[in-house]
Amino acid sequence: MLGFGADRLRADMNRLLALLFHQGVLDEQFLQLQQLQDETSPNFVSEVVNIYFHESEKLLRNLRGLLSDRELSDYKKMGIHLNQFMGSSSSIGAKRVRNVCVAFRAASEQNNRVGCLRALEMLEHEYCYLKNRLHELFQMEQQRVMAAGVRYPMQN
Amino acid sequence: MAAVQKLPVSSLSTTASNYGSCKADTVAADQFPVGLRVLVVDDDTTCLRILEQMLRKCMYRVTTCSQATIALNLLRERKGCFDVVISDVYMPDMDGFKLLEHVGLEMDLPVIMMSSDARTSAVMKGIKHGACDYLIKPVRLEELKNIWQHVVRKKWNENKEHEQSGSAEENDRHKRGGSDADYASSVNEGTDGSWKVQKKRRDAKDDDDEGDLENEEPGTSKKPRVVWSVELHQQFVGAVNQLGIDKAVPKRILELMNVPGLTRENVASHLQKFRLYLKRLSAVAQQQVGISNSFCGTVESNAKLGSLGRLDLQALAASGQIPPHTLAALQSELLGRPTGSLVLPAMDQPVFLQSSLQGPKCVPVERGVTFGQPLIKCQSNIAKQFPQSNISVEDIPSGFGTWSPNSLGTVGASGSFGGQNTQNNNMLMQILQQQQQQQQQQQQGVLLEPSHTINVQPSCLVVPSQSSSSFQAGNNIVPLNQNSSFSSSAVIDYSLLSSQSNNASLGVGQVIDGDLKSTGVLNGYTMPASISPSVSSCSVLADHGTGWQVQNSAISLSYVSQLPGLVPNACEIQHSYDTKAAPLPDQGPGRNLGFVGKGTSIPSRFAVDDIEFPTSNSSHGKTYMDNTGGRVKQEFNLDFVENAKIKDAVFLGKKISSLGKLSCFPESHPRGPRCKEEVLCDVI
Repeated sequence: MLGFGADRLRADMNRLLALLFHQGVLDEQFLQLQQLQDETSPNFVSEVVNIYFHESEKLLRNLRGLLSDRELSDYKKMGIHLNQFMGSSSSIGAKRVRNVCVAFRAASEQNNRVGCLRALEMLEHEYCYLKNRLHELFQMEQQRVMAAGVRYPMQN
Repeated sequence: MAAVQKLPVSSLSTTASNYGSCKADTVAADQFPVGLRVLVVDDDTTCLRILEQMLRKCMYRVTTCSQATIALNLLRERKGCFDVVISDVYMPDMDGFKLLEHVGLEMDLPVIMMSSDARTSAVMKGIKHGACDYLIKPVRLEELKNIWQHVVRKKWNENKEHEQSGSAEENDRHKRGGSDADYASSVNEGTDGSWKVQKKRRDAKDDDDEGDLENEEPGTSKKPRVVWSVELHQQFVGAVNQLGIDKAVPKRILELMNVPGLTRENVASHLQKFRLYLKRLSAVAQQQVGISNSFCGTVESNAKLGSLGRLDLQALAASGQIPPHTLAALQSELLGRPTGSLVLPAMDQPVFLQSSLQGPKCVPVERGVTFGQPLIKCQSNIAKQFPQSNISVEDIPSGFGTWSPNSLGTVGASGSFGGQNTQNNNMLMQILQQQQQQQQQQQQGVLLEPSHTINVQPSCLVVPSQSSSSFQAGNNIVPLNQNSSFSSSAVIDYSLLSSQSNNASLGVGQVIDGDLKSTGVLNGYTMPASISPSVSSCSVLADHGTGWQVQNSAISLSYVSQLPGLVPNACEIQHSYDTKAAPLPDQGPGRNLGFVGKGTSIPSRFAVDDIEFPTSNSSHGKTYMDNTGGRVKQEFNLDFVENAKIKDAVFLGKKISSLGKLSCFPESHPRGPRCKEEVLCDVI
C-alpha cells in the first residue's frame, strides 16, 4: 500500500512538473538542477529553491520599497536588483518569473514608473504561483521519499 | 631534421632540465582538468550554490565567495591557489569588472565573467576589461566543463609573452602538429644572435610542454612565475610614472624597481599588460590597435589594426615596444656575435635612445626629421622628403592598387594571413639573417654616399626584396616581427633606405615613387643608423637593428595618422612580404628594370620557399647576378669580399647599388655564415 502510494506520488509529481513546463513556469534548467542532485547533496533542489525563495523575497521587498517612493525611484538600483532576480530565476529554471523580470527591467530603464508597478505586481503574482507549485512539488517529493523509505529502508 | 632539432637541446642545458620537470608535472596531473581550482564570486547565493554544485560535478575544486572584496582578499592571500576565477558582473560591494581588473593586474588569472545581462554592450564591456569568457545566466554545466581551456590558453599566452615572440610563435603553435621543419628552422635562427637562441630555447620548451600539455596540470607551471604582488605592482607603477608611460621601457623600469630576481621579460610582460589595462580604461574599441601602437602611446592606428589585427596585436605591441625597450640588449642579442655588437656600442646606443624616445611620440615625420638630422649628413634632403613622405603616403594607395594585383598573384597565400605568417615566420627566421645583412649593407650604402641614397630612392623602389628582409630583421627582435614589419615595411623606410640600400625597395617597391619620398623619411631614420656605422663601419649592424625598430614604430604611426586609407594597403604590404618578389619585379621593369628584377626575385623566393632557404639564397644570388652581375650573387655567399664591390655598384648606379647593398652586408658576414648553416640544418 505504501509502495503504491510512492508510485502514485511520483506520477503526481511528474504530472505537476509537466504542467509547469507546459505553462512555461519552468524550463529545462530546472531539470539540470535535478540532475545535479546526487548522493553528496540529496536535497540539492529543494535547498537551492529555498535559497532562491529567501533571496527573491528580499528582492521583492526591495523593489517594492524602491517603487513606493513616488518621487525618487532609484531605477538604477532597481535594475541591479532585477538583474540579480533574473539571474537567480533563470538559474533555477523559473522561466516566467524571469520573463517578467525582463519586462520589469525594460520598464525601469525607461523610468516608466507605471510600467514598473505593473511589472512588480506581475512579478509577485508569478513568484507566488511558482512558490506554491514548487512547495507542492517538494511536499510530494517528501511524501514519496517517506513512502519509499518505509518499503525500501535501504534505498535512501 | 632530427639533427637540427637536437641542436637547440644540446646547446641548452636549461632545456633539458625543464623538460625533466615538465615530465614530472605531467605524471602528477594526468587527469587534467580534474582538480582545477576555481573561485566563484557571486552575490546571488542561489547562483553561487548552483555553480558550486555544477563545478563539483566537473570534478573541480570549488571555492565560493559571495562578496567581491572578500574574494579579492582571498586571491591576494592565497596567490597561486586558484587557476581560474568566475565572477558575477553586478555585485554590491565591488563591480565585477573592477575585480576583474585587479585580478588581471595582480595575479594574472583567467577571469570568466557571468551575468544574466546578455546585452551586447554588457558582454563587450567584459571583453574590454579583459575577461577571457562571458557566461550568460543561466550557466549550464556544459559550459563549465570547458572552462579549463582558459587556464591552458592563458598559460600559453604567458609563454608567448615571455618570449615576446608574437606572431611567429603563434604560427608555430598553429602549425605545431607537423611543423618540425619549421621548428628546426626557427631554432636555427640562433644565428641571428644569442637573443634569438634564447627565444628558440623557449620555443623548444614550449614544444615539450605542448607535447605533454594534455597531461600537464596548468595550475602548476614549470617556469617560475613572477607574482605581481600589490607592493610589487605599486613599485612598478611608481617606476612607470617616474619615467612617464610613453617612455617607460622594461629596462629602465627594472632599474628603477631594483627588485632582485625580476627580469626584463617579467617587466616587459607586465608593462604590456599594464598598458593594455590603461588602454581599456581609455578607449575600448581602439584598445587592441592601441596595444600594437601602445608604443606610440596616443596614436591609434586603426588602419594598422586592420592589417595587424590578423597578427597578434599583443605580439605586435610587444614588438613595437620591445625594440625601444631592449634596444641595447636586442642589439647585442641580435647581433649574436659579441664582436658585431661590440664594434659600435657607443654609437648604437645613442641612436637607440633617440629612436626609443621618439618612438613614443606619435608623429613619425618629426622623428624622422630629428633622427635624420643628427645622424645623417643629408639631413636637409631627408627633411624635405618628409613632407613629401606624407604626400607619398597618399600616393601609395594608388600605387598599391596597381601593385596589389601583382602581389596577389605572386603571393597567393598572402590573402590568408595565417598561412603567410607561418611562411613568414620561417621566412623571417631565414630572412632575419639576410635582413641583418641587408641592414648592414644599407648602412654601408648610406655611409658611402648620402647623396646617392637620395638619388637612389626613386630607383630604390625596385629593391624591395631586400628591404623586406631588413624589416624582418627588425622584427626579428620582436616576436611579432612580421606584424611590425608589415606596417612599417609597407610604406616605410625601406623604400628610402632601399634607395640606398635594398630595404626601401621591399615595402616601397610597391608604393611607387611617392613612397620613395616617404621612405626617404623613414630612411632618414635608418640613415642615421647607417651613418653611425659609417663612422665605424663594423658597428653598423647594431645601429641598423635599432634603426629598424625605430622605423617600424614610426611607420606604424605614420600609417595611422596619415593614411587611414592605407590600411588596406598595409594588408597588401603584408602580403607583399611574401609577394614582394612578384610585385617588385613588375615594378622594377617599369621603373628600374635591372634593379627591380633582382630585388624582386629575391624576396619572392624568400617568401615562397621557407625551407629551401639555402637554395633561395643561391637563387637570390643568381638573380642579383643577373641584374647587378656577380657582385650581387656573391653578397650572400661572400658578403665580405663583395661588400666593397657592392658599394661600388651602388655608387655607380643607384639601382644597382641598392641591389648590391642588399646582397652585400659587411656585418652579414657573421650572420651570413650562420644563415647558411641554418639553411643547411633545415635542409637536412
